[in-house]
Amino acid sequence: MAESTSHVQDGSSTFHADLHAAHGSGHDHHHEQGFLAKYVFSQDHKVIAKQFLFTGMLSAVVGIGLSMLFRLQLAFPDTPFPILESLLGRWAPDGVIDPSFYLALVTMHGTLMVFFVLTAGLSGTFSNYLIPLQVGARDMASGFLNMLSYWAFFLSTVIMFASFFVESGPASGGWTIYPPLSALPQAMSGSGMGMTLWLTSMVFFIASGLLGGINYITTVINLRTKGMTLERLPLNIWAFFLTAILVILSFPVLLAAALLLFLDRSLGTSFYLSDIYIGGEVLHHAGGSPVLFQHLFWFLGHPEVYIVLLPALGIASEVISVNSRKPIFGYKAMVGSMIAIAVLSFIVWAHHMFVTGMNPFLGTVFMLFTLIIAVPSAIKAFNYITTLWRGNLRLTPAMLFAIGLVSFFITGGITGIILGNAALDIPMHDTYFVTAHFHLVMGSASAFGLFAGVYHWFPKMFGKMMNPRLGYIHFWFTFIGLYLVFFPQHFQGLGGVARHYYQFTAFDFMKQFVDLSKYITYAAWIGGAAQLIFFFNFFNSLFWGKKAPQNPWKANTLEWTTPINPGHGNWPGEIPTVYRWPYDYSKPGLEDDYAPQHIPDEDLRYEPGQAPPKPTPAPRREETPSETEGSDNF
Amino acid sequence: MDAQLLITLTKVLLVIILVLVAFNLSMVFKIKSIDPFKNWNATKINAALLMVFMVLGFIFASWSSVKWAPTFTLVTDPASEHGVPLDAMFWRTMVVCILVTIITNFLLFYFSWKYQERPGQKAHFYPHNNKLELIWTLVPAVVMTLLIADGVKNWHSIMAPDDEIKENALDVEFYARQFDWTIRYGGADQELGQTHIKYIDNATANQLGFNYDDPRTHDDIVVTEVHLPVNVPVHMHIKSQDVLHSATLAHFRVKMDAVPGMPTNFWFTPTETTAARRERLGNPDFNYELSCQQICGSSHWNMRRVVVVETEEEFQAWLASQKPSYQAYKEKFENKNTPSEPAPVEAPAEEAEPANASAEDGDDRATVSTR
Ligand code: HEM
Ligand SMILES: [Cu+2]
Ligand SMILES: [Cu+2]
Repeated sequence: MAESTSHVQDGSSTFHADLHAAHGSGHDHHHEQGFLAKYVFSQDHKVIAKQFLFTGMLSAVVGIGLSMLFRLQLAFPDTPFPILESLLGRWAPDGVIDPSFYLALVTMHGTLMVFFVLTAGLSGTFSNYLIPLQVGARDMASGFLNMLSYWAFFLSTVIMFASFFVESGPASGGWTIYPPLSALPQAMSGSGMGMTLWLTSMVFFIASGLLGGINYITTVINLRTKGMTLERLPLNIWAFFLTAILVILSFPVLLAAALLLFLDRSLGTSFYLSDIYIGGEVLHHAGGSPVLFQHLFWFLGHPEVYIVLLPALGIASEVISVNSRKPIFGYKAMVGSMIAIAVLSFIVWAHHMFVTGMNPFLGTVFMLFTLIIAVPSAIKAFNYITTLWRGNLRLTPAMLFAIGLVSFFITGGITGIILGNAALDIPMHDTYFVTAHFHLVMGSASAFGLFAGVYHWFPKMFGKMMNPRLGYIHFWFTFIGLYLVFFPQHFQGLGGVARHYYQFTAFDFMKQFVDLSKYITYAAWIGGAAQLIFFFNFFNSLFWGKKAPQNPWKANTLEWTTPINPGHGNWPGEIPTVYRWPYDYSKPGLEDDYAPQHIPDEDLRYEPGQAPPKPTPAPRREETPSETEGSDNF
Repeated sequence: MDAQLLITLTKVLLVIILVLVAFNLSMVFKIKSIDPFKNWNATKINAALLMVFMVLGFIFASWSSVKWAPTFTLVTDPASEHGVPLDAMFWRTMVVCILVTIITNFLLFYFSWKYQERPGQKAHFYPHNNKLELIWTLVPAVVMTLLIADGVKNWHSIMAPDDEIKENALDVEFYARQFDWTIRYGGADQELGQTHIKYIDNATANQLGFNYDDPRTHDDIVVTEVHLPVNVPVHMHIKSQDVLHSATLAHFRVKMDAVPGMPTNFWFTPTETTAARRERLGNPDFNYELSCQQICGSSHWNMRRVVVVETEEEFQAWLASQKPSYQAYKEKFENKNTPSEPAPVEAPAEEAEPANASAEDGDDRATVSTR
């Protein structure tokens, strides 16, 4: 390993040399690049990361906006809001949202939030930004593929947004687009052109994910700087790495599923369709199975929820450790449980299908695996909490969001053991209980990971500090708002209220929940409005914020060793060498409460009396002093 | 009216004034570089808020849970046999969930408050403790194993009931389409005759696609209200003619997708009649309800059917009063081809009448789709 590491080091030095040859000397080589090359078709991972962030933020604005609209319908069924008509035109005749359009709103909200915000926006931003900086590489393995990855994502976003403007409306069969509903334009208008665009958009999205994923994996494996063994990777890099593997293995299956659906829709094949009478005629399709689609979809779909969550958990690990001034508790257990989650997430998909008519025996098997996955999840939660124990906690906005994330992860994840129990899932399936579960554990927790990441790395990304006070206010409104929105949905779920209902008024046992819906809607609107604080803070700080110091949080990781506004290539001089793991916070005997990864032991400041272990005469750059036994052959 | 307008206007004005004042203040502070919150200790405030949030959160969560508990149709007061052990298992699992949630959230917020940054406080370097980690791997693993064992048992007894139950079960078809349910009984022979979508013919009101060449169809009864005898196992035959639907009987803990091209099944035994439940709850308007809980299109939210559970005698009487749809079909459309039925004269008189349940069904559909 040591050998290959140094080989890698050579490789990146060459890259570095190339870079300098191309751009002249010194790190300040921006001036020679045109605007297009620097900001638009950039191959610099830092610029691409910001592009992902801004595009993701745009999707977030739209996605959250859609939810504000359909919450209005749920709280005030049949109440006309004239403003809606002027806003939505024929989709809200007389100011009442049309039932088909309600489904379109829900579908597009889910699609945008799950894929465009919490997958591309989160992973795309932070994997891109942090992997090279934290493993000590000058850029991604392939800057070009990385650029393509962004532009594929951009195209996919444009197509998805375009689907709002087609005559028959955007896709409306739910974010899981189950056929036959999604396959037959006769079944709902959203299954026409809107669905075609949805599928097209997802093809580009998948391409983007694969191009990005390949790059993340390659970079983590090959471009680590000298001394950066796998055991010394920050946990968020581990999370991004495993996420990329999940992406690579699961998204192709979604592509296959989408392709077959596309064929069913346009070429008359029968992969998912059979024995259908609709619109007054018998369709010729025979022999297909709608359940097949569900298997394919959830083979992606379940890993996807971890694709969304793992990066957030990784970010939380880093943020919590830095701000607790303590090592993350149980580093190996954290890595181990992430690996376990990644592996197990491929064999639990059918817990979304217990009552689809699937063979009950399969249900048993999937219940088994599903409840096993709760164990590594529990370990992670316990380890976060123990990290806080006896720390010296700096409650920065990033830290608050990370603490909030853990709370959501627990409160939302725990209901997984009810839903994962096939028998209990019979009544719960497709009710608001599921909505509550996944909005807390996936939606809220991952969104908090995104926020924590932005607050924490904003100084690195933009060279400015965000206003912490606005950060606190934003945190409190969002934290309370999300709990108020999603916790009561457990009650609605236990009351039997079904998902995807335009209104609850048709059923006696659901009617009583209209009132509760009102409160939820108020909370949603307040929480939604609070995001304006974030946007204000973000852009205000971006332009007029206080200048950031080089290492504002006194963190150990390598990204803080770059200049405040790093250029392409990240480090003006040599790439730093790594001497220890990233979590030596408050190590006994040291004067400072942190020990950056790139400072050799003999250069650290020790407390008087804590005589530094006499530096061995060996020259420092030859062999990396290993902290942990056996780390070299990890 | 006017008074209200005035009040609203005043409120709006007040808000505007407040915003302006806040804005002005902030500008003044900014220009004079005064920091009015200089002496506020953000760490202390946030840490305290975390504790307050936790305490209020627990109180609020408990209070609201208790307040809403009577509305928990899915986990209280089951009306089916398998619902009883299922609900019990739910509450057992829920106790575990609540305990874990409270304990871990408590520690999370408590530690966040207790160990907030203080001058002179040094964090304790504590990178791992294998014993501790082993404990909290094993404990959840054991708890999960117990839950799985419980779950598997219940799952099997629900999905694959004993042969005895299967043999004695009443066959009822739940037939879904956009956007309604049609219910079918086997009639006198207690067997459901053959249907297929290729036989569907709106002209003859044959909406389930009866193959009338199959004599078993001749006594089949088609209705739009579910009637079930109490304490008799029911075998649901669930079908869809167009997209996915889901036959959901919340009170009976029943849910199963209706899949076009693949009939699905569910067995359950209702244990309380509608009348008895109405009396017990003191609610004369109570009804069991059938709903669709798999997104199926614009009127997905409105696929309601009333479910009437009654005594065996009432059920048989009701069943006997229903006219097999084949008869209606014969009277209306087949009169010329069936010499055995000497009723060609009667037919014209009935022509304007809707043909039994199927046509009534069609009417329902029309009302639904106006939405
Ligand atoms: C303790 C571990 C967990 C278990 C046992 C679990 C179990 C389940 C089950 C069984 C369902 C299907 C419920 C139904 O549709 O009836 C479900 C739904 C879902 N879960 Fe989890 N879950 C766990 C953790 C998570 C995590 C960590 C995430 C995300 C990061 C997540 C995201 C979701 C999503 C998005 C859905 C709903 C998908 C949909 O139907 O639209 N779950 N979960
Ligand atoms: Cu899942
Ligand atoms: Cu439906």
